[in-house]
Amino acid sequence: MDNRTHKEEIQGTAQNKTGSPKPYKWELVIDLDRCTGCEACVVACHAENNVRISGEEEAAQGRAINWIRIERSWEGEYPDIKATFMPVLCQHCNNAPCEPVCPVYASYHTPDGLNAQVYNRCIGVRYCGNNCPYVARQFNWFDPQWDAPLAEQLNPDVTVRMNGIMEKCTFCVQRIRKGKETAHQEGRRVRDGEVTPACVQSCPSSALVFGDRNDPTSRVAKMVKNDRRFHLLEDLGTEPAITYLKRLT
Amino acid sequence: MDLKRRDFFKLIGVTTVGSALPGCEREAHNLVPYLLPDEEIIPGIANWYASYCRECPAGCGILVRVMEGRAKKIEGNPSHPLNQGKLCARGHAALQDLYNPDRLRGPMRREGPRGEGTFRPIGWEEAFSLWVSQLKAHQNRTAMISRPVRGTLAEIFSRFMKAQGGPLVLYDAGAAVNEHTANRANFGIDQWPHYDLANSTFLLSFGTPFLDDWLSPVSFGAAFGRMRQGRAGMRGRFVQIEPRLSLTAASADRWIPIRPGSEGLLALGIGQLILAHGRSQVEPSDRRKFETVYRSHPMDHIVQQTGITQDEIERLAEEFATASTPLALGGGPASSYTNSTITMQLINGLNVLVGNIGRPGGVQIYDGVQFPGNDATVQPASEQTLLEIAQAFDQGRYSLLQLYQANPLYSLPPSTGMARLFMQAPFIVSFSSYLDESTAMSDLILPDHAPLESWGDHPQNGLSGNLTVGLGQPVVEPLYDTRSVGDLFLQASHHLLDMRQDHHPLPAHPFKDRLQANWQSFLADQTSESGDTFDLAWTCRLQEGGWWTERANVQSKISSHAPSDYEPAAFAGDDKEYPFYLSLFPAMGVGRGEGSNRPWLQELPDTLTSAVWGSWVEINPKTARDHNLRSGELLRITSPHGRIEVPVVFFPGIRPDTIALPMGQGHWAYGRYATGRGVNPMSILAPLFDTRSGALATGATRVRIEGTGQLGKLALLEQRHEDKGHELITIGRRQPT
Repeated sequence: MDNRTHKEEIQGTAQNKTGSPKPYKWELVIDLDRCTGCEACVVACHAENNVRISGEEEAAQGRAINWIRIERSWEGEYPDIKATFMPVLCQHCNNAPCEPVCPVYASYHTPDGLNAQVYNRCIGVRYCGNNCPYVARQFNWFDPQWDAPLAEQLNPDVTVRMNGIMEKCTFCVQRIRKGKETAHQEGRRVRDGEVTPACVQSCPSSALVFGDRNDPTSRVAKMVKNDRRFHLLEDLGTEPAITYLKRLT
Repeated sequence: MDLKRRDFFKLIGVTTVGSALPGCEREAHNLVPYLLPDEEIIPGIANWYASYCRECPAGCGILVRVMEGRAKKIEGNPSHPLNQGKLCARGHAALQDLYNPDRLRGPMRREGPRGEGTFRPIGWEEAFSLWVSQLKAHQNRTAMISRPVRGTLAEIFSRFMKAQGGPLVLYDAGAAVNEHTANRANFGIDQWPHYDLANSTFLLSFGTPFLDDWLSPVSFGAAFGRMRQGRAGMRGRFVQIEPRLSLTAASADRWIPIRPGSEGLLALGIGQLILAHGRSQVEPSDRRKFETVYRSHPMDHIVQQTGITQDEIERLAEEFATASTPLALGGGPASSYTNSTITMQLINGLNVLVGNIGRPGGVQIYDGVQFPGNDATVQPASEQTLLEIAQAFDQGRYSLLQLYQANPLYSLPPSTGMARLFMQAPFIVSFSSYLDESTAMSDLILPDHAPLESWGDHPQNGLSGNLTVGLGQPVVEPLYDTRSVGDLFLQASHHLLDMRQDHHPLPAHPFKDRLQANWQSFLADQTSESGDTFDLAWTCRLQEGGWWTERANVQSKISSHAPSDYEPAAFAGDDKEYPFYLSLFPAMGVGRGEGSNRPWLQELPDTLTSAVWGSWVEINPKTARDHNLRSGELLRITSPHGRIEVPVVFFPGIRPDTIALPMGQGHWAYGRYATGRGVNPMSILAPLFDTRSGALATGATRVRIEGTGQLGKLALLEQRHEDKGHELITIGRRQPT
C-alpha cells in the first residue's frame, strides 16, 4: 500500500512541475501516537552529523550534545500513571527567536525555510541558545575527541564542530542539498520521500515524516492538516516547521 | 562491472591488503588507504553495500555507506522484509564495533597466571598450530559456547564440534528461551511465529518488551506504528501488564502493575472467563484439556495473588475476547521467574482460546526456510545448559573450552558458580574481538574479523511473514591482523583430517567458498531463481543483501496443545527479611552488557530516566519517602547472595514493593568505555531457574534496601529539580494541549 501511495505522489509532483516554481519549504511531522521512544533517531543523528561523544563528566554538567532528544513527561500518579514521549529538535521556526540576536549573522534563515547555523561565523556568544525556547541549541564547551580509530566513521559531508561553537539540528542539510542537486540535474523538483534526514530514515514506527510543505501532494502537506496537529509552545508565535500530531491516549 | 565488483569482494574477503600488495605499509597519515586506487574507490563518492546486522539475533537488512574504504554510516535496507529500511540504535552503533579502539588486533597468548589479563601478541602460525595441537590433545573432550549463529557459520560450528566430539552451546542472555520452550510445547515449533501485530486490534501484552529489545524491536516498532495509525478508522489498542512501566509500557493505552511472578495466574483467570462465557473457539475434543488447566484456580485466589481487581480481570477478558483480532504476547519480566515457561504457555493458550492461530492479526506459523544451519540443532540454550557444561568440566569430562563472542562469566550471576569453569578449565580458546570478562580468562585468543569485515548468512528464524535469508559481505577490508572464524574452523578441520576417518570432514576451502556453495545449492532449489546462472543470481543476492519471498505459506493445520498445569513462582529470600521484589531490565542501547563498549550507546539517554553512562535503581517515590531517601542517594541493596550500592532515581511507574535496575554495566573488562562503570545487578542474583526451560530467573531474587546518606554518581540529562532547594526561578514545561 505504501508503495502505491508513493508512486501516486511522485506522479503528482511531476504534474506540479509545470506550475509556478515555488521555493521548497522543508517541514517535519511527528506523530506522537506512533513514537515509541526507542531513540533510534538519536543515534542515527549522531552517526550522520558527527555529533561528538561527550563522556560521563561533561554529560553530568549538562554539556552532552543531542540534536534530537526524547522528552518524557509523567502524567498522573501511581498506579494511574502514564509516560508520554515527545521528540524535540530544532523547530526551524519561521519567526526564529535565535536569529535576530546573533551579532554576526551565524544564525540565519535559508530560502528553503531552514534555520541555519554558519559555524565559521559563530563567535560563541550563546545569545541564540539563550533565546531558543526549545533548548534546541547546544554549545561546544570543549573540542570533540574520538579515540582512534573511531574518527574513521566521521561523515565527510558534515563539519566537525570545535570548542566555542553553537550547534544544532540542520534537518540534515547535506542530504537536502544532495537531493536538490540531483533533482536540478534532472530538471525536476525533489520528489516526496527522496530526501530524508537521518532521524526520519531510521524511525522504526515511521513516527517522523519529512517533506516539502509547498508541494501539495507531499505527505507532510497532507499530514499538517490532521485534526491532531499542534505546535510546541505554539503561543510564542515562533511558527515552527515541526508539526506534532497528538497521542490519542 | 559486476565481474570486477566480484573480484573486488574476493580480494577483500580472502586476503588482507597487507598480503595482497607486498610493500604496502599501513600508514596512519595516508588519507586514501589504497596504494593502487581501486576503480570502486573514488574520493568523495560513496559506495553502498548490502549486508545484514549482526548486533542482535534478529538480523535486519542493512546498507553500509563506504567512502574511501571506510564505513561511514549504516542504514536499514528498504527491501528487507524484516526491518523495511529502519534501523535501531544498536544497529547504527555497529560502526563502533568496527572502529572500536579496544578491538583485539591479532592473536594473543596468555602470559602469567590466568585471570590477571596479561597477554602476549603472537603470530598466526604459532597461534594456529597451538590451537590445533590443543584440539588434538582434547579430542572428544571439547565444548564450545558461542553467541547464537545461523546459516553457514552455524553449519560449520555444528559439524566441527560433532567431529571434535563435544557440545556446541549457543548462548545469548536475551534469547527468550522461555518463550521458545513454550512455543515448542504449545505448537511444536522451533521457529518463531510471526506475531502479526500490525493487523491486530487489541494487544494484551504480559510484560513483552517488544519495543525495547524483544526478538526484533525494529520490526515490532514498524508493526506498532501500523497498528496505531496505519489503518483508516482503526486504531489498535494495547494493554501492558508488568510490575514496572517499561519503555514498551509507556506506549500502551493502559499499564497494569501486576504482582511479580503472578502473570501466569492472570492469563489463567482471563482464559477461565473466556471459557465460562462460552467464547472459546477451541475444538470440542481439546476443550476438556483447556478447561482443566484454566479452571484449576478460583477467581478469588487469582485476585488475591495478582493484586488485580476482579473487575479489571473481567474487563481484560471482555476486551480480549470481543476484539476482532486480539493478540496475546508474553515475555520480558513475565518471562523472568521460575514458572515462566508455564506462564508463556498459558498466554499462548489465550491465543488458542480466541482462535487466532494462523489468522491475520494473530499468531502465524510458517515452515522455516530450508537452509543449512537453520535447524533445531542450533537453538539458543538456557543458563542451566551452560552450568551443565561447567559441571562436566568439573568432573573432568571436558577439558578444552572454545568461546565465540559469548561472555557467560559476565552474564551469569556469580552465585551460579560459573567462574569455576573459567578457573578450572585446562585450556580456553576465545575467538572474540574484545577482552571481555570471559575472554580475559582464556589461554589463547584468535580474534575474528568484525561483522562488517566478514562474510555471513542469516536464515531468518520466523518473525516476519516472509521466508528470508540475509547475506552479509565484507564492506571494508579487515583493519587488523584478525582472521575469519569460519576460515579458521575449516582449516583446522582439514588439519585434523587424518584423525577423523569416521566422520565426514569439512573441506578446507575458505569460508566464503563454503558459503557460496551453500547458496548455490539453496538457490538451485528456489523456483524464483531458476533460469539465471548462479553467477548472476549470486551478484543479485549480494546487491540486494539476501534472498526473500513476498510471503510465506501459513501452516493452516497447527495442532495446539493445552498449557501445562500452573505452578507458582519461587523466590529466593524470605519476604520479611527481604521485602522487595527486584526487577532487572536490559538498559537502553547497552542491553545486557554487549553494547556497553560503544560510546554512542553509553551516551544514549535512557528514555524514561534520561540517565547516561551508568547504573541506577528505580524506586517508587512513595517507597522512597517511607525510607527517607533523596533522589541520587546511594542505595544499598542486599539480597541473600550479595550487596550492591546504586544511586536512586525516583520512578513513578513502578510498584511500591518492587525496585528495578538496568542490566549491562559493572563490567570489569571489555574495554575503556565499559570497564568500571556502574554495577552489574547479576552479582546479587540467586541461582534460580525456570523449572521447564532452565533459563535464569532474573526476577526471582528478593532484596532489602537501606539508604547510605551519600550521594551517588549518576549523570541525568534531565535536571533534577528536587535536588535544588533554593532555585530563584522555577521553569515549568507547558504540556501540549
